[in-house]
Amino acid sequence: MYLPDFDYYAPDSLAETCEALERFGAKAKVLSGGTDIIIKMKSGLLSPEVLISLKKLEDLKKIDYVSKKGVVIGALSTHNDLVNSKILNDRYLSVSEAAHNMASNQIRNIGTVGGNLCNAVPSADLPPILIALGATIKLVGTKGERVMLLEDLFTGPMKTVIAENEILTEIVIPDQSSTGSNYIKFGLRRSGALAVVGIAVAVTVNGGTITEAKIAIGAAAPTPIRAREAEKFLQGKTISDDLLAEAGVIASGESKPISDIRGSAEYRRDLIRVLTRRALYKAINEGHV
Amino acid sequence: MSKDYAVIGKNVPKIDGREKATGAAKYAGDLKFPNMLFGKILTSPHAHAKILSIDTSEAEKLPGVKAVITHKDVPALKYGISPARWDENIFCIDKVRFVGDKVAAVACIDEETCYKALKLIKVEYEVLPAVLDALHAMDEGAPQVHDEYPRNINTEIHQNFGDLDKAMAEAHYIRKDYFVGQRTYQSPIEPHSAVSIWKDNKLTIYSSTQSPHYFQYYIAREFGLKMGDVRIIKPFVGGGFGGKLEPTGLEFAGSVLAKLTGRPVRTFYDRHEMFAHNRGRHKVYMELTTGVDKEGKILGVHANFVSDGGAYTSLGVATSYYAGGLLTLTYEFENYKFDMIRVYTNLPACGAQRGHGAPQPKYAFESHLDNIAKDLGIDPLEIRLRNARQPNTVTINDFGINSCELTACLEKAADISGWREKKGNLPKGRGIGIATGSFVSGAGYPIYRNDLPQSAAMIKVHEDGTAATLYTGAVDIGQGSDTALCQMAAEAMGYRYENMKIIAADTETTPHDFGAYSSRQTLMSGSACKQAGEEIKKQILDIASTIMSLPPDDLDCRLGIIFSKSRPTAKTITFEEAARRFFVLRGPLLGRGVYHVPRLGGTFKGAAVATSPAYSFCAQISEVQIDEETGEVDVCEVWDVHDCGQVINPMQLHGQVHGALYMGVGEAIWEEVLFDDQGKIQNPNLGGYMLPTALDMPIVHSELVESYEPAGPWGVKEVGEGATNPTMGCFNNAIYDAMGVRIDSLPLTYEKVWRAMKEKREGKKEV
Repeated sequence: MYLPDFDYYAPDSLAETCEALERFGAKAKVLSGGTDIIIKMKSGLLSPEVLISLKKLEDLKKIDYVSKKGVVIGALSTHNDLVNSKILNDRYLSVSEAAHNMASNQIRNIGTVGGNLCNAVPSADLPPILIALGATIKLVGTKGERVMLLEDLFTGPMKTVIAENEILTEIVIPDQSSTGSNYIKFGLRRSGALAVVGIAVAVTVNGGTITEAKIAIGAAAPTPIRAREAEKFLQGKTISDDLLAEAGVIASGESKPISDIRGSAEYRRDLIRVLTRRALYKAINEGHV
Repeated sequence: MSKDYAVIGKNVPKIDGREKATGAAKYAGDLKFPNMLFGKILTSPHAHAKILSIDTSEAEKLPGVKAVITHKDVPALKYGISPARWDENIFCIDKVRFVGDKVAAVACIDEETCYKALKLIKVEYEVLPAVLDALHAMDEGAPQVHDEYPRNINTEIHQNFGDLDKAMAEAHYIRKDYFVGQRTYQSPIEPHSAVSIWKDNKLTIYSSTQSPHYFQYYIAREFGLKMGDVRIIKPFVGGGFGGKLEPTGLEFAGSVLAKLTGRPVRTFYDRHEMFAHNRGRHKVYMELTTGVDKEGKILGVHANFVSDGGAYTSLGVATSYYAGGLLTLTYEFENYKFDMIRVYTNLPACGAQRGHGAPQPKYAFESHLDNIAKDLGIDPLEIRLRNARQPNTVTINDFGINSCELTACLEKAADISGWREKKGNLPKGRGIGIATGSFVSGAGYPIYRNDLPQSAAMIKVHEDGTAATLYTGAVDIGQGSDTALCQMAAEAMGYRYENMKIIAADTETTPHDFGAYSSRQTLMSGSACKQAGEEIKKQILDIASTIMSLPPDDLDCRLGIIFSKSRPTAKTITFEEAARRFFVLRGPLLGRGVYHVPRLGGTFKGAAVATSPAYSFCAQISEVQIDEETGEVDVCEVWDVHDCGQVINPMQLHGQVHGALYMGVGEAIWEEVLFDDQGKIQNPNLGGYMLPTALDMPIVHSELVESYEPAGPWGVKEVGEGATNPTMGCFNNAIYDAMGVRIDSLPLTYEKVWRAMKEKREGKKEV
């Protein structure tokens, strides 16, 4: 295990970063926290000729609340920044907890939100809850910037729509019309475990009726997915235990998990059934956590 | 422990605590020497392949590369740790036998150059079909791992005691069950490292080892050196658990690289390489058949096992004998048949891991016994009490048991856990289980045949009496033997622990000891240290008698004060005064001790394995909470009650129980080394190999029962491994109690529990 030779750049500005990316094209990779790419390089899975570090882009390390926009999370915020952010703790504790339940403290100290999203690992913990909350992302490139829903970022395992000359700069969790949300991770131990499945929901409840529901699932398909059939099923229905259980069954049917060393596809599907129900119940009864 | 003792039975500060806690302690991988080179080993990417050619020329040209070696540069003599089956070469000659087998090595000016050089070595392989499934290794036409061992049979055991057929014919009830274990790895926190220095025909190796003696013996043998010309020094070691008992490619290849370059060479494994080198727990396939009478009294047992040994023997011959041999300890029965075949496969070699050979059979037997209890309508505690081993008995396979407080352990565990109140009264999803364990207090015979004493010790008192140094070959690998042995030496001398120094585990400066394995050191090394301390005390009282003008028989020494036993008011003198006087008049004040095991065991084939001067016993009860929908297992609480004889250091003792339980809990629920269909490890890292974290650990209650072992110094016996033995069976029984499902393979993963509950609901599986 050793790091192969590579050239290293740490541009001072976003513009220079994008220019460098454009210049080196496929030869370059972006280095943010490095908790994933360095491991891959050491084990020979990746060998970029150039690493372009984002470490000098201080502006991308922030978590603010911007009125009428929502919670703005800079892409270079570390997982522990999410864990410790008072803004997130107060508004969307689930986001802080999703970050807190990832990996180890050492990794949480250097791994970044942007890295976690751009890495596009199907079992990543942050995408489901951010997708359920309707988060948008901003991609900046040499030709300008674009904003899109986070759920449109992923195209496959380790694959995204990000162009070679683009970087992800910020994530925005918009002000919620939903009334409750949470994320349930199912890991094989209580710390340092990848999600076998991860379920996030955001529901809007009016009286005893669900007016809208969003269900986002990790480790259930090549990308994080929305359980749209289950969402549709819930819309306009009166809340009951049976209703939530049925939504779990539907969500489970929409998932396309694989079998790997952490769990069989069959097990994952059943976990999705159970945990979707539990997440919905919690969102309805406990609000945003 | 009696209050009469001044030093033992007390929680003294660990002798190396400060160095370790401050980070000052140097482990083998921390050592630096002038001109030191770095060495790495090239390993096989294939599970089974012929080596057609090896071309090292490109690697040799790389700047910074000082040596490249293959099988042509090293002795072809096969080595191993079990002398019955020496089957490893320093580097593979004709073929590789698992992914990770040793092919070549380099010595370079830095680590990075090593990796670059390894990439430049061109090895041409012809891939052969591989044996990856132990159950098919013996099949007609299966690929042969070693030509010398037809049908891949590495070890075959058939033992028969009493009259099993008769016992079964008379049995009220007979039950057969089948269980499967898993491959686990010790995962010591310190990776293996060695620094080899070969200078002027003398080879010195600093190594993370559990046994300098065995390293010295086997390394001298391999290179045709006199043992006196091989010096093995153990720096601080960060855990071994059985995985650092035998020399590895690090020492063998490192030595050759050091000789060729004339420079010190540091060789080391990374975490992946540790998993590949392995020597962890065997996966055992276990069929158990037991006949009992109406009351659940065991009449006879047939244990029929197959184990996956991997590509080499390592300690697997002993492991195989232990697997069945130790099953006779905790329950008394008079008829026993034990059949076992250890097969070679093209997977990493398995060896000794904490509880050597015993934990998986114990898991099977404790689960099996619970099944029998349920079938007969007997409480699991009650069936164990009815069968529990009693003191001063002999097992059917000729192990002599002196002290044994297993009944008291069971009763106490039941009391402190609230077994009788809880059993049958817990809400669904919550369950309580029970199991027992036992282990040797040191193997009765060394690993290779020899007549050396098990342990020897020496104490040298400083000339002014203000310090005493214990020289022992005993090996502290984190378990705290340096501390316990200094306590024992100080007690025997009548001296203070605070003034003790220790030099340990260096074959050149310390007397012989076989090392840290089979839970042997407190009893065996302790015996030698006690004797050495007593010799010091005898001499110090003798000189004191001349100073004090009192007969030596009337004097005693305690915590460094020499006093008259019959005249409490007589003036006392200090140990220091007497020691100084001794040196002035008689020269160095030295004490020596030696410990031989008395002849133990029967005369049948394999009778020596699992003999011991003394056996520990323990009972464990655990409580679990099962998520009925997901199968998630919450290991809530464990009560361990140990009969470990008398206690030298209570805090270290309970630390050993916690550590053993930690490993047992991990193997019970989480840990398994997984392979793909090419024999490659899928989880060779601490992210993928699921060791439990602090958050996963249950609340642990470690308690003792009063016990005195006549064969041990001050009545001591084993603790470090015994607490691993009951744990897996204990949890399986608790899961059964919670959900009514029996998991018949380890680990007891959430998914297996989920699946078993699902099958039970769907009526697919009769329980």
